[in-house]
Formats: sequence, C-alpha cells, structure tokens
Amino acid sequence: MKYTLTIFTENKPGVLYRIADVFLRRKINVESLTVSEIESKGISRFTVVQNMEEEMVKKVIKQLNKIIEVVRVYASTDEELYFNEIALIKVGYKTKGDIATIYNLILEERGNRVVFVNDISVIIRSYGTEKEIQKLVEKLKPFGIKDVAISGRTAVLIHDTPSIEVSTD
Amino acid sequence: MAKKKMTGAQAVMESLLHAGTEVIFGYPGGAIMPIYDALYDYKDKIRHILVRHEQGAAHAAEGFARATGKVGVCMATSGPGATNLVTGVTDAIMDSVPLVCITGQVSSSVIGTDAFQEADVLGIMTPITKWCHQATKAAEIPEVIAKAFHIASSGRPGPVVVDITKDAQFAMSEYETFSFEMDESTRSKLPKPLDLDKIKKAAELLNSAKHPYILIGHGILISKAEKELKELVEKGGFPFASTIHGLSALPSDHPLYVGMLGMHGNYGSNRLTNWADVILAVGMRFDDRVTGRVKDYAPSAKIIHIDIDIAELNKIIKSEVSIHGDAKEALKKLIALINKNTHKEWIEHFREADKKENEKVGELELYPKGGEIRMAEVIRMVAEKTKGKAIIVADVGQHQMTAARYSKFKDSNSFISSGGLGTMGFALPAAVGAKLGKMEKQVIAVIGDGSFQMNIQELGTISQEKLPVKIIILNNEFLGMVRQWQSLFFAKRYSFVDLQNPDFVAVAKGFYIDGEKVEQRENLSKALDRMIKSEGPYLLEVKVLKEENVFPMVPTGASVDEIRLE
Repeated sequence: MKYTLTIFTENKPGVLYRIADVFLRRKINVESLTVSEIESKGISRFTVVQNMEEEMVKKVIKQLNKIIEVVRVYASTDEELYFNEIALIKVGYKTKGDIATIYNLILEERGNRVVFVNDISVIIRSYGTEKEIQKLVEKLKPFGIKDVAISGRTAVLIHDTPSIEVSTD
Repeated sequence: MAKKKMTGAQAVMESLLHAGTEVIFGYPGGAIMPIYDALYDYKDKIRHILVRHEQGAAHAAEGFARATGKVGVCMATSGPGATNLVTGVTDAIMDSVPLVCITGQVSSSVIGTDAFQEADVLGIMTPITKWCHQATKAAEIPEVIAKAFHIASSGRPGPVVVDITKDAQFAMSEYETFSFEMDESTRSKLPKPLDLDKIKKAAELLNSAKHPYILIGHGILISKAEKELKELVEKGGFPFASTIHGLSALPSDHPLYVGMLGMHGNYGSNRLTNWADVILAVGMRFDDRVTGRVKDYAPSAKIIHIDIDIAELNKIIKSEVSIHGDAKEALKKLIALINKNTHKEWIEHFREADKKENEKVGELELYPKGGEIRMAEVIRMVAEKTKGKAIIVADVGQHQMTAARYSKFKDSNSFISSGGLGTMGFALPAAVGAKLGKMEKQVIAVIGDGSFQMNIQELGTISQEKLPVKIIILNNEFLGMVRQWQSLFFAKRYSFVDLQNPDFVAVAKGFYIDGEKVEQRENLSKALDRMIKSEGPYLLEVKVLKEENVFPMVPTGASVDEIRLE
C-alpha cells in the first residue's frame, strides 16, 4: 500500500539523516521525497512516499516522532490527499511538423506547457499526479526524450485530519 | 543578570555546573584541550575521573546514572576519543540511560578536510543517540548543553552527544544565562496528560482477571515508581515479575515477587506468562529475550501496556489497553481503582514452579554437595554476606544471568548490567561510576574472565582514584555463554571459546590492587569476608566449574512455556 508521510521538523542540519536512518533500519525504500521550508520560518516540511503495510506505517511514524527536531508527523493514503508532482521533459524534434504535433499532444491535458524551444529541442513543463506525468512521458517517447526530471510529490490533506497519526495504537 | 565574558571552554564548565554535574568521566586529547584547561580551575567543584579508555568513560557514566538516577557525563577528544565512546553510547540508548557526552572536534575551519584526529562524529553518533549537536560557536554552548541535559533526562532517557569545535572552545563570548528555553520541538516531546478512560479500562480488566500478572521493567526505576508498584501489587494481590532492568525495584523477598523474565529468567515467571488472562506491563518493552517466540506469547492474556515511549506501545506485542505516560503517574491513578484481592491459588502455581526449579536447578548449584565451586553459590554467599544491600554490577554472559537470578536485593537501583546491547566489558567501568554515585554503598562487580579482559585497563582508574570497588571474577576459562550455546545448539563444536587467562591476582597487584584467588569451596566464605571487609579495592578470583550451563533457558525461537530446566 502506498502511503504519504508528512513530517514537520525544525529546519536544522542532521534532521534528514535521522529521518533516513529510521527508514534504513526498517529497510523501507523511499519512492519520492520532497523537502522545503513552509510558510512559517524555521520549519521544514518533508513529504515522503513509501510502500508499506499499515502496521508498519503506524510504527514508523512513532519512530519518526521520537526525533527531537520533529514537531509533527502523520501518514495518509492517496484518497485523503490532493497531490502533484512537477516534470520537466526535454524532447528532441526534427521538423516543424513535429513541434506542432507535440504542442497538440501536450495541450490535451491541462497543466502542460512548452517553456523553452530551440533548433533541436523543446522543454515541456507538466504537473499532475505520478500517473498523469507518466502518461505524458509515454506519449512523447516517439519523438525522442532527451531528459526527464520529475520532482517528488507535494501533497495536502483534502480534509483536515489525517487517518494515521502518532497514537497509542 | 550581568553578562559574563568567558571562553567557550569556560562556558562548558559553567554549563555543566549549572546542570548539577558532580563527576565527569573523561580522557583528554588535542581537540578538547581548551576544555581540560578550563576544567583545571574547576577541580574543586567538579570531580574528574581519568579513565584508561574512552569506552570506560561512557560505561562509568552509565554506572553513575544507573546508580543515582542523575545524568552521567563523559568527555573525550575528537577522532578516536569520540569513536571509542560509541559502544557505551549505544549501550546507553538501548538501556535508556541518560548521558551527556562532550566531545572535542577539530577547528571549524578544517572540518570535512580529513584533518588530524577528525571523525564525522555527528554522522557516527546520530543513529545511536537521542540527540546530537555540533557547536561551532562559543555563544551557543550554554544553551546547547542545557538542552542536552534536558533531552537526556526527560521522557525516556538516553544519550546525547555535544561535539564542540576547538575554535569554539577558545573563542570569547558574553553570556547571560546557562539555561535554555524550550522550543517548539522539545515542547512537543513533553508527555500528554494521562488518558483516564484507559486507566479505568485497565482497572476493570485487572479487577475481573482470574490470573492477573504484572511485568515490570526499567521504567519503574527510572520514574521512581517503586512505592506505587508496591501499593498496587499488594492491594490487588497481583504476582509480579521483573525484566533484568526492573530487578531491585522492590525487595527480592517481596511475597508477591515471582522472579525474573527472559531467556534465563525463572521457570514459573516465564512459563506462567501463558496462563495469565490479564497482563499489566509497566516500563518494559517486550524485548525478544523476554517474549521468546512472539506468536505464542501470552496467548490467553489481554495486555495492558504502560510506557513513556509511545513508540514502544504495540511495537512487538499487541495490547488491549495502551497507556502512554509516566509509570509513577499512571500507577498512582490505577491504584485507586483496584479492588482488594489476594489471588492465592494463582500465586500458588508460581510457588509450585519455584519448587520444581529449585529441585532441578537451584538446589544443585546454590548448595552443591561437592565438586568444583559453582557460580551460583558465590552469588548466594555474596547476597547473604551483604544482606542484599550491595549494588551488584554484572558484566555479560553466564555470570550475569547467575548474578541476576540469585542476587537478593533490598534497595532499588541495586542491579546494574548491560541488558539491551549485552556489552561485554561493561561491568568494571560501570562499577567505577556506580561507586562514585553511591559512595555509601558496597559496590560489587561480578565479571566473567572473558568480559574482564575487555576493559581490564580500568583497574588503573580504580587504583588511581582509590575507589573501594570489589571485583569478583567468576573464572571458568571459557567464554561460557557462547560455549553453552555451542554445546546445546552447535553439536558441542567449541569454536574459539577457550581462554588462556593471565594471573588475574598478579594483574591486580600490578595495578596496586589487593586480591586473592580461591579454588576450594572451603576457602570461599572467608575469602568473600576478606573482600567485603577490605578498605580499598579488591579483586577476588574464583575458579568455578569449567563447563556448566545456565538453566532455566528459553531457547531462541521457542515459546516462554517451552522453558527448559535442563
């Protein structure tokens, strides 16, 4: 099962290491990780996507909560979240006709935009869920993808209370 | 308050004093020299114990903390000094021991350049500490050290490392205060109020139980809940058993005490876990040595678990009622709701099991009719001669299990050993710390011949400080516990467990420590008397039966009710 862990921490050196160490000890692989400072200064927000059993999620967030710098941690399923990733996709092209096709193709979905064009490549910015981005990448493959950079997930809860919080359970 | 101008190194001293530090266990070196220079002016306020190896400093600080309930403080230089602390720090996190370790670090200008005696201390210490911090500026030192003490001692205690660069130690700064104000994260770690509904539910379960059973751990001692425990078990007539770290919480002869849990715990206390219908576990963490095969642990019991560390709740064993909070507070609330009861028949089962254990094991090793000296009789005699008033510091191995099983305790915090990490070499330095923490107490280290040689150098510390620590070496010229396993589970293939030992008494004498060796049973009692009466440190080597196995035993992977008596 896919879970998104949201961890608020003091923005101090070493916190990422401590968080990673909890995953390392439990041998849990990270699918995606996004970190940045939130609007209130000095607090970082980690968004971590991982595959694990519910039992394990409950244990892991309690372990994370023990880290002194961690202020709050909770876990959510995809159903509880609005989430997105951003992708930058560099595609090569040969003819003017190719460019037109690419434009038409990407405009099928909202959130896609050509952000750069030169003689040999276009760069497309896309945002959406992992699935949506993957779909776009597949569509662009025939043109020759030169590079794809996909950010980690950012997510907010749709409702205010997450289903899995640190608890005695 | 007027601002005080001083160096970072002096600020370390002022901060330690402010935190109530009485003793530092340490070892100087290049990158911590400014702090040692500052310490020179504080010699009359803080006692410094010069150990012989930094591992000894960490274990001594643990021993001090375990004996007193205060934070143990140790100091080491950068690089090898800091890395030598690692085993002790890991031991402390496993056994919830509050430590503040101060390490020197190379100057901030050369950090990360593989400078002389540079080690990535934060990188190494992060996974084994509750918190660690590198101070690179003199101005931050007081706050960081105050925070370190707070974190080490609050909630579930643990070790904290403060790494201080040499330039920060040298730099001058102005200080107003040596305390710290809690920030958002430290505040978020404070325990929430007890869930009284759960306390009520726990009381209902205990009151309606036919076979209620209480398991206590280190948490009782840490939260100083001995009195509450006594009240609870006596009111409800609950039999209670202890983990290795819960030993001595109540006197061993308490009529409701039914023994030690775990792989080499008592027969009844382990076996009857699976007869219990309600278990209240307080301040213990269902370690694998305690549970045996988890799948078959306490199948008929509803479990109530109280722990200060929420991550321990439902970590190993699913509990019916999980209570997050301090043991003392929780028990206080619980006592009021408990009905008076005696559970006589139920307790009788434990006594029958005791009888069986005594016939098969105890009698034979506590009062042997002939043959070589047994470890158990030595421990029995120590308990008799000290009337259970001594602090027993046990190392790791067969002697440890024997000491845990047969020592009799009168006072709390009287058994100190490495439980979680099982660190051989723990006892000698830990006894140093325990003695310094409790000078009024007799401190007796019980050590195997293998373990003794892992930190034998601390005899130098004991000698120099003239600490009247008593050392008993139970010498079977084997790594006994490993040999026992090889005997039981590896077809007696004794692979590298044979020890050719030095003349321990001669070694002690080389350190100017008095000692003697006993090989005959008839000489044992008198020798123990001489050891106990001796004024200074004393080493008593006892030659014991070479091949003996510790029983009862729950073999690895077995259920607690498959405990073996032979």
